[in-house]
Amino acid sequence: MLSRWLGLLIAFLLTACSSGPSGAPLVHLSNLKPLPAEVSSDVIPLRVAVAAVVSPKGTAESYQPLLDYLSAQLNRPVELVQRRTYTEINDLIESGFVDLAFVCTSAYVAGHDKFGMELLAAPQVNGETVYYSMLIVPRDSPAQGIADLRGKVFAFTDPMSNSGRVYPTYLVKQLGSTPEQFFARTFFTYSHDDAIRAVAAGLADGAAVDSLVYDFAVSRDPTLGERTRLIHRSPPFGIPPVVVSPNVRPQLKAELQALLLGMADEALRNPRAQNALRAIGIDRFVSIDDSAYDSVRELLKAVGSLE
Amino acid sequence: MSLRRLFQQFWAIAGAVSVRTKILGIVLGLVLLLGLGITLQVRQALTRAMDAQLEQQSISLTRDLAARATDLILIRDLYALHQLLVEMQANNADVRYAFVVDPQGQILANTFGAGIPEGMVETNAATRDEHHRTVVLNTDAGFVWDTAVPIFEGRAGTARVGLSETSVNRAVDSVTGQLLLTTVLVSIIGIAAAAFLTWILTRPILDLAEATQAVGQGDFSRRVKRWADDEIGDLAEAFNAMTGDLARAAQERAEREQLRVEYVKRIIAAQEDERKRIARELHDDASQALTSLRVGLKTLTDICADPELHRRVTDLQTIAAQTMQGIHDLALQLRPSVLDDLGLVAALERHLSDCRRRYGLTIDFAVHGLSDMRLSPAIETALYRIVQEALTNIGRHAQAHTVSVLLEHRDGKVVAVVEDDGVGFDQGAADSAGRRLGLFGMQERAALLSGKFTLESAPARGTSLFVEVPLKEG
Repeated sequence: MLSRWLGLLIAFLLTACSSGPSGAPLVHLSNLKPLPAEVSSDVIPLRVAVAAVVSPKGTAESYQPLLDYLSAQLNRPVELVQRRTYTEINDLIESGFVDLAFVCTSAYVAGHDKFGMELLAAPQVNGETVYYSMLIVPRDSPAQGIADLRGKVFAFTDPMSNSGRVYPTYLVKQLGSTPEQFFARTFFTYSHDDAIRAVAAGLADGAAVDSLVYDFAVSRDPTLGERTRLIHRSPPFGIPPVVVSPNVRPQLKAELQALLLGMADEALRNPRAQNALRAIGIDRFVSIDDSAYDSVRELLKAVGSLE
Repeated sequence: MSLRRLFQQFWAIAGAVSVRTKILGIVLGLVLLLGLGITLQVRQALTRAMDAQLEQQSISLTRDLAARATDLILIRDLYALHQLLVEMQANNADVRYAFVVDPQGQILANTFGAGIPEGMVETNAATRDEHHRTVVLNTDAGFVWDTAVPIFEGRAGTARVGLSETSVNRAVDSVTGQLLLTTVLVSIIGIAAAAFLTWILTRPILDLAEATQAVGQGDFSRRVKRWADDEIGDLAEAFNAMTGDLARAAQERAEREQLRVEYVKRIIAAQEDERKRIARELHDDASQALTSLRVGLKTLTDICADPELHRRVTDLQTIAAQTMQGIHDLALQLRPSVLDDLGLVAALERHLSDCRRRYGLTIDFAVHGLSDMRLSPAIETALYRIVQEALTNIGRHAQAHTVSVLLEHRDGKVVAVVEDDGVGFDQGAADSAGRRLGLFGMQERAALLSGKFTLESAPARGTSLFVEVPLKEG
C-alpha cells in the first residue's frame, strides 16, 4: 500500500524532471551526409563584378537596380560578384569569370597595362568624369594638411586604390618619407565608406577617400559629414570606369556598351533605368578614352611599386 | 477507496507508533515534503527560465551571425565565413552547430565538418521578411533550439544556429542536486532536532506515567518535577496536588480505621466483661436464690405431710430445677467460666457437647498440638466466639447432619476449621442482615488479632470456615 504511493510519487518526480517539447522531428546530428556538389545552372548568367569601393552590403544594395535593369534588357540572369580586394576582381576579369566590371581607377590602369582590360564606359557625375582623392580627418582634429598627420593613425582603403592609397602615399613621398615611417600605424578598411566611418569614429586620425563615395555616403548618412572634416583635395583623376574582360565576345561588348550609353535616354521613359542610375548616384554613362587615366599612370610611376 | 478508509489505514500506522516516532515522522515528513516540493518547483521554473534564455541566446547569436556573415558571403570569403562559425561555436559552449545556406539551398559553411546531417536543412527556414524563426529540434543529442535568420533579407541566404540544451540540463541537474543535498542535510538536522524535542516532550510524560503507577500502588510520597512552564507542566502540578490530596485522604482513612479497630476492640472487651459479670451474677445470685428456694421447698415437705401439698411442692421443685438449668445454660452461653479456668479446648468440648444435645448434630472435634496449651485470653475468646457463632449459624440455617471442627497449632499459628454438610449458601447473594453481621463479626475478631478468615460455601455444597491467627502479633 505504502510502496504503491511511494512509487506514484517517484514516477511523478521523474516525469516532472524530463521536460521539453515532444513530437518534434528527430534529427541524428552524428549521421552526416556529404555536401551536394555545386549545381551547374543551364543558363550561364552575366557576371558583373563591382570593386569594393563601398562595403559589400552597400554595394549589393546600390547596384541591385542596375543589375535588375541589365537582366531585364538582356533577358538573361545577372549575377553580382564581389571580392574583398581590387586584385581579386582583376584576377576574375583576367580569367574571364567576370564579364562586366566596375573597377577602381588604379585597378583599371593595372589591368589595362597587364592583360588588356578594356574600357566600356565611364559614369558621369555632376557633369564630370573625374573624381578626387579627399583627405579627411575627424571634425575636432587640429590637422590642416598631410604634414599634420605625422605620427598618427592612417586608414587606407584598398592596397590598390588610387584615391585611398596611391595618392596619400604620393603626398607622404612628397614630404620625403614613406607611409610606414610617416604614420604611427596604418590599416586597410577595403572600402571607402568604412574608411570614412573609421575616421568618424576616431579609429583613424585620417584617411584618403574617393570624393564620389564621400559625397554619396554623406548624403546618405549626414552624421558622417558632421563628424569628419575635409583638409585636402587632390587634382582630378579619371573616374573609376566600367570595363569588360578582354575575353568578352565583341558582340556582347557592343551590346553592353550600347545599353549603358543609352541608359540616360532610356531613363526619360523607363523608370527602372532612371532608378538604376540614381541608385548608384550617377547622371549617365559616357564613353571615355584611355588617355583620361594618364595622370594616374604618372602618379603611380611617381610613387613606385606598392607592396 | 474512501477517505475514511484511507484515514483508518493511516491511523493504524500512525496511532501504533510512539510519540517519539510521531514527532520524528512529522518533522521528517514536513522537511521532505517541503524539500521535494521546492526542488521540483525550482527545477521546473529554472528549466523554463533557462530554456527561454536559451531561445533568446539562440536568436541573438543567429542574428549576430547573419549580420557578420553578410559581407563575407557577398565577397565570397567562405574561409572567413567558416572561421566565423567555428569561432562562434568555440566561444559559446551551448552552440551545437551552425551553418549558412545560400538562397539556392547550397551550404556555404558549416561546423559539422565533412557533411551535414540528413534532413537538417529542411527542419527550419525563415522567409526573407522574417526577423527569425526558432524551432525546437528533437535530436539524438537532446533537444536543440534551432534559429533561422535571413541574411541580407534572404538575398545572401540563411544563417542557422542550433543551441543544445545540455548545459541547461547540467545547470538544472546541479541545482537539483544541491537542493536535494540541502534537503538531506536539513532532514538530518531535523531528525536531531526532533529527537531533542521528543526527549523534552516525553521526559515529563514518562515521569508522570511512572509516578502514576507508584501512586496506584499506594506510594503517595511520589512527586513529579515540573520541567517546563507549559501544559505538561500544569499537568504535573495538578498531578502533584492530587497526590497530596490522596496522601492526606489516605492518612485520614488510616486514622479513622485505627480508631475504629480500637473502638471495636473495646466494644468486644466490654461485651465479654459484661457477659462475664452477668454470667457470674446469674450463677452466684440467681442460682444461690434458687438453691435456697429448693432447700426451702424440701423443708416444707418435711414439715407437712399433706399429699396435695407434696405434689404441688414437687412441681415447684421441678420448675425451680428447670429454671436453674436454664440459668446455668444461659450463663454458660454468655461466658463459660471453663474458658477462663480450663482453656479453649475444654470450653469448646463443653460447648460442642451442648450443641450436640441442643441441635442433635454429629460433631467431630479434633485437636492437634495444643491439648494442654493455654493461649492468650484474647485469642482464646476470639476463637471460641468464632466457633460458637459458626455452630449457631449451622444449627439455625444449615440443616446439617455432621459437623467437623478442627483446632490445630502449627508454625506459631492457631488454625480453626469448621465444616458442615449442610445446604450452604450463595456468598455473593444478599443474605439476612443478621447473618451477614455475624460473618462480619467473625471477620472482625480475626482481623483484630491480625488473623485470616476465609469462608467457602455454595448452595447444596456445605460450608467450610477457616481461621488462622498468629500466636504473637507482629
